[in-house]
This record gives sequence, structure tokens and C-alpha cells, in this order.
Amino acid sequence: MNGVRILVIATFFVFVLMTPVVVASGNDSYYIFDNELQVNEGITIETSIHIEVVEVKRIPLERAKFRITSYQRPERMITVFKEDGPQANRYETYSGASIYLDVIGVYSDSVQFRVSGPSNWRVTDYYDVDPEEGGGEVDEAVTVPKLKITRTLDISSVQQGQTAKVTFKIKNDGNGTASEIELDEPTIKGAYREGCPTTLDDIAAGATERVSYDLKIVDVEPGTYELNPTLLNYKSESGTSYSSESSSNVLVIVAEEVLAPELEIKLTIESDDDVIICGERFSVTVRIDNTGNATTGRITVKSHLPDDVRVAGGEIDPVYESIKPGDYEEYEVTMIAYEPGKHVIKMDVLWADEEASASAEFWAERSGFDKYYIYILAAIPIVLILLWLIKRRREYSF
Amino acid sequence: MLNILILGLGQCGNRVLDAVNHEAFGSGGTFAKYYSRQKFPASVKTIAINTAINDLKGLTDTRAKDRFHVPHLHGVGANRALGKKVFDDNKEQIMSEIDKRGSFELIFIITSAAGGSGSSFAPLLVKELKKAYNAQIICIAVLPFREEGSIFLQNTAFCIRELVAESPNGILLVDNQYLKKYAGDIKSAYDKINISVARRVLFLIEALNSEMLMVTDLGDLKTVMNGGIGIGTMGYYEAGKDGTIKSAILGSFKPSGLLFPANVYNEGARAMLIIKGDKKYLDLDLITKTVEELSTDVGQVFKGVLIKKGRPKVLSLFTLNSVPELENLYAAAADAIRFEMDKREQSKKQLDDAFAHIDELEPIY
Repeated sequence: MNGVRILVIATFFVFVLMTPVVVASGNDSYYIFDNELQVNEGITIETSIHIEVVEVKRIPLERAKFRITSYQRPERMITVFKEDGPQANRYETYSGASIYLDVIGVYSDSVQFRVSGPSNWRVTDYYDVDPEEGGGEVDEAVTVPKLKITRTLDISSVQQGQTAKVTFKIKNDGNGTASEIELDEPTIKGAYREGCPTTLDDIAAGATERVSYDLKIVDVEPGTYELNPTLLNYKSESGTSYSSESSSNVLVIVAEEVLAPELEIKLTIESDDDVIICGERFSVTVRIDNTGNATTGRITVKSHLPDDVRVAGGEIDPVYESIKPGDYEEYEVTMIAYEPGKHVIKMDVLWADEEASASAEFWAERSGFDKYYIYILAAIPIVLILLWLIKRRREYSF
Repeated sequence: MLNILILGLGQCGNRVLDAVNHEAFGSGGTFAKYYSRQKFPASVKTIAINTAINDLKGLTDTRAKDRFHVPHLHGVGANRALGKKVFDDNKEQIMSEIDKRGSFELIFIITSAAGGSGSSFAPLLVKELKKAYNAQIICIAVLPFREEGSIFLQNTAFCIRELVAESPNGILLVDNQYLKKYAGDIKSAYDKINISVARRVLFLIEALNSEMLMVTDLGDLKTVMNGGIGIGTMGYYEAGKDGTIKSAILGSFKPSGLLFPANVYNEGARAMLIIKGDKKYLDLDLITKTVEELSTDVGQVFKGVLIKKGRPKVLSLFTLNSVPELENLYAAAADAIRFEMDKREQSKKQLDDAFAHIDELEPIY
């Protein structure tokens, strides 16, 4: 039983001792340090964690490089960009507790920054760093830069004449600064790069650079193009050359959109099986669609009818002032075909200097009535004679 | 162009008028009216007037609008007294119907002298027409078959007397009794008489209205009709294959061509001869010579020559100084009246004697 009590009590103490660390890791608002340090000044937190300001730079981005050393941990150089936020620059100690660095302001030779971490941690010392001592220690360390380049395009499809924005995100995942960085960006024939750098500033270990340029599509045929990987050549501080490349990208280039109206004309003959009875009226529907992407100007319709087809009702050659894109005009004409056989109605629609045509065929047949036409013709005089006789008879009937 | 009105009164007058209308269609026959138009030689209007509607319905070639029914049951039953009253009652309508046809220079009234409507209407109509129109009025009076009965003889006697009293321009007699011998049965006799009268009337109208080689006109007709007692008749002759114009003229004076039995050479007062035919047949010298010869017997003879295709046809129109046949008719009529009166008195006396048997007696029940 005593053994169990001892185990429970020991567990409790361990829990109590661990609690501030856990809380501190989840509480970013507790600042262990919030002040300004000169380059080559440092602070000691809880007697074991040393943070020194190695350098500050304001161009192109405000940043500060820190050297952090702690118990049982190798020295680490962290470049903290202003406004990256504390979560982006985390340093974990041997005990598992973490501190977070956040640059507030960068000046010519100093930096204001914050260190947040467990609430019970305190700055235990301020000290100056001997540059020779610090540099000597760096030179003596084995530092290897490792650049990772990611290339993104703001759009995957671009029209001829338009511009795509290409952005490189270059992150140094190594522990040394990359220098003499050369960027070899392939291009597409007929496209031109605007503002694309060929060399980049040094990138410190852990730092991330972002570079953008405009890719202008000038004279490229429409199609799908593969943008070959970007090649980065760089050197470590010791002068060793390295290279890395991005993945390739696919860019779809589409034809330049030309704003122009495009008209289509369609004829519909309302009949059964396209057979018309001679002498009977039938309807023809004419529809004019603007399938283009611009509003037309004045539109004229011109009809071409067979000799024996006549318009019985409606305006067959109307004039429209305009038709908007996607819109249409439709009208109906009543016609009569007088002779049997195949007939073709052709219609032209004219706009600007353009023209579109459509035609419709139909067969005309004589009606059953026409078969008896000759008999009816023969009967008419007989009927007239009969009527005449009846009239005369009535004249003499009293 | 002459404006001529032909009125057919009563059954007889209607039928003669219908024959005139039929003949005006030419040689088209029964069905000519269905496809042809009447070809009157002048502006001729016709009206059939009757109180008997069935008689009007029986007409075949007279237009319905030219049939005027004077409403009185179905005729006046040969009663002239009733007929006169009906005329007086409908005088305005009758004259109005005539007036619708316009004005006329010559009016023919065709009627039977024996019937009811025609014989009673005719004298009164002459009187009214003389008042309304300045036209020559010629009455064509048809005398009955003598065996038709005493009433018809009486009607004829009084009708002719009244007609003469009204002084039309002339009265042309047509005697059914005389013409009967030239036909077979009564029906064909009627038809022949009607057609004969119709053709003569149309011949006369054509002559009066045509440009003639030798002219007769309405004035000549008036003069002729004023001759004698104002009563006359018409003769007709159509030359045969070998006949001459002289024989044709003389033929028209023969009793067989006359509508009324008369001895023209003895009784004739004035005459009109109308000769129609192809020019090759018409020897004017011979015509003139023949007419001169006739004038010595007949008196004044007017002649007219009409050039038309065909063999010579001659129409003669006479007025007479005396009409013996009419005297015979009146004598027969008087006998009939007396006989009728005697018979009626005897019947009345017989009836009175019969009634006398029960005089001063009363029925006992």
C-alpha cells in the first residue's frame, strides 16, 4: 500500500510541475520579453536560453536574425520577419517547452521584439556579444542552405494579350544562409516576362522570400503549355554551390476574345412532313439569333422565294435596328405555293459587312380538290345555265 | 321607234297576247323563252289582264310581271254587268299598271267580244285610255263560235255596240266561227286563230316601225281605220314557189286569208297593203299597178314595201263600209235574247202556276 501512495503522490507532483509549461505553451499573450535590443546584444531566459540579435535588415523586408542557444540544443539561427506573427517562429527547448519570437519593429541597428512563453519564465540576464566570438562560433559550425522554391500562377488560363502573375516562394529550409542566388526562369515562346529577377538577395536559414513577375502573353498560339521548372543556383556561406528547382506548371492560353456580333438565321416551315397543299396558306417562322458577343448594328433580312411562292401575310424582309448578344428576333410570314413540286425558300440576314443565310425546303402538292378542278370547271357553265333557266322560268311563272 | 302597248283582256285576249309573245321569240319553239329574248320589231309592252287567275297562270310566253290579275274570285262568269263593276272598282290599279310601262303611240286591245272580263273591260278601257293617252287605239275583237250559247252572242252584240260607241281608232274583227273551217278540232282552231292574229299584229308593227321602200306609217293606219264604219279585218298571204307578187297581193284579199268573212271588193272602204320579201320578188311597177287596180274596187289603198329575205308575204288591212256578217250575228243575238226572254217568262209562268197550287194554303203538321 505504501508503494501505491508513493506512486500517486509522485504522479501528482509531476502533474503540478508540468502544468505551467503546458499553460505557457498555449498562452501566447504572456511576454517573457518585450523590448528593443541592439545588434550583438542578447538576453538569457531562465538562465539557460540565450537569444542574441545577429543582424537586422529593413530592405526588402524588415527582418531580424537571432541566434538561439539552449541546454542540450544546437545553436540555431532564426530570421524573423516583421508581422510574421509569433506562431511562425517557434523554438522548442530540451524540456519540451516552447518560446515564440515576434518582431515588432526593425531599426537601423536594433530590433524591437517579443518573446512569449511560459508565464513563470523570466529574463534572467542581459549581455553583449563579442562579434568576433559570435562569428567565430558560426564559422566554425557546419551550415548548409537548402532552398525550396514553389512557383504559383494567379490564373491557370489566360487569354492572348493578357498577363499572368507568377509568384515564387523561396524558403531556406537549411541552417545556413543562401547567397549568390541565381534564378533561371524558363519562358514560353511569344510570352514576355516583366520584372522577373535573375538574382536574389541572400536568404538566411529558415527565411522565406517571395518574388513575383508578370508573364505577358503576347504572341502565343492558343493551347495548353507546360511551364518548365524554375532553376535556383545558390551558394552556401562556405561557397559551396547548390541548386534546386520548382515543379512545372500548366498554363492554358486561349484565343483573344474579339467582340463581334454573329448572327444565325433559321427557317421553320409549319407543315406536316414538309408537304404543302397548293393554294393553301402555310406559316414560315424566321428566327435570327445573335450568337456573338457584341450588339449588332442595323440588320436587314432579304428573302429569295421561288417564282410560284407568294407572301400572303406578314413582312418577309423586315429591318431591325439591333440585336443584343444572346438575344433573338423572330417573325412569322404566311405564304402560298401555287405549283406542285419541290420548293426552296432562301433567306439572307445582312449586318455590317457580314451575311448569313438559311434555306428551307418543302414539297407542294395539289389538293384533292384540284383533281376535280376540271369537272368543277365543266360543271360551272351547266350550273349557270340551270340558274339561268330557273331564273327565266321564274320570270314566266305566275 | 314606235312605243306600242298590247293589252290582252280576258281569257281569249290573254291567249292571243301569249301567242304574240311566243311569236316574238321567232322560230325557237317552246323553249325559246329559256335561252332567247323576244325580238319585237318596235318598243312593245304587253299586259295580260284578267279576273280569272287560272287563265293568267295558263299563259306560257308572257312574263309574270306582264300578267295583271284583277281580283274578283275566279272570273266574272261571262257576266258583263259584273265585269263592268269590277273594272270600275279596279280602274285605278289597271291604269296604274299600264302607266308603269310609259307612254305609247299605238295601243292594241285584244279581247273576245263574247266573254265576261274582256268584253266588259274593253269598252271601258278604251274610254280610259283615250283620256290618259294621245295614242291610236285599235281593238281586235274576237267573235265567238255561234254554237257557244246565247249569252256569248248577247255579250258580243252589246260589246261591239259599246266599243263602236267609245270610238276607238278602229275595230278589227276576228271571227272564230269563220276561221273554224280552216282548222280541225276546236283546240287546234283556237291555236291557229291565236297564231294567225299574233303574226298579223307583229307584221303590222314591223311595217309601221321599219324603214320601207314604199312607206306606210301610223298616219296611214289612222286614215285607213277611219274609213267606212271603222270596223275592219286583216288578210294575209304568203306567196308560193311559183307565185308572183300580184298573186300574193290578191291572195291577201281572198276570204281564206281574212280573219272575218267579208267581200272586200264590195264592202271595203279603205285598205292598207304591206308587202314584205326579197327584193328580187318585189316588182314595184307591178305592185303599183296592182294596187291601182284594187283601188278602183276597194277605195283608197295604202301600200308599204319592206325588203326582207324570203318569199313575198302580204298583209292586208281593211275597213268596211258594211258588215253583213255582223248583221247576221246581231240578228242571231236578238233571236237568242228573245228566245231567252220567252223561255224565262215561260219558266216563270210555269213556276208561278206550280206555286198557285198552294196559294191560300198553310202547311199542316
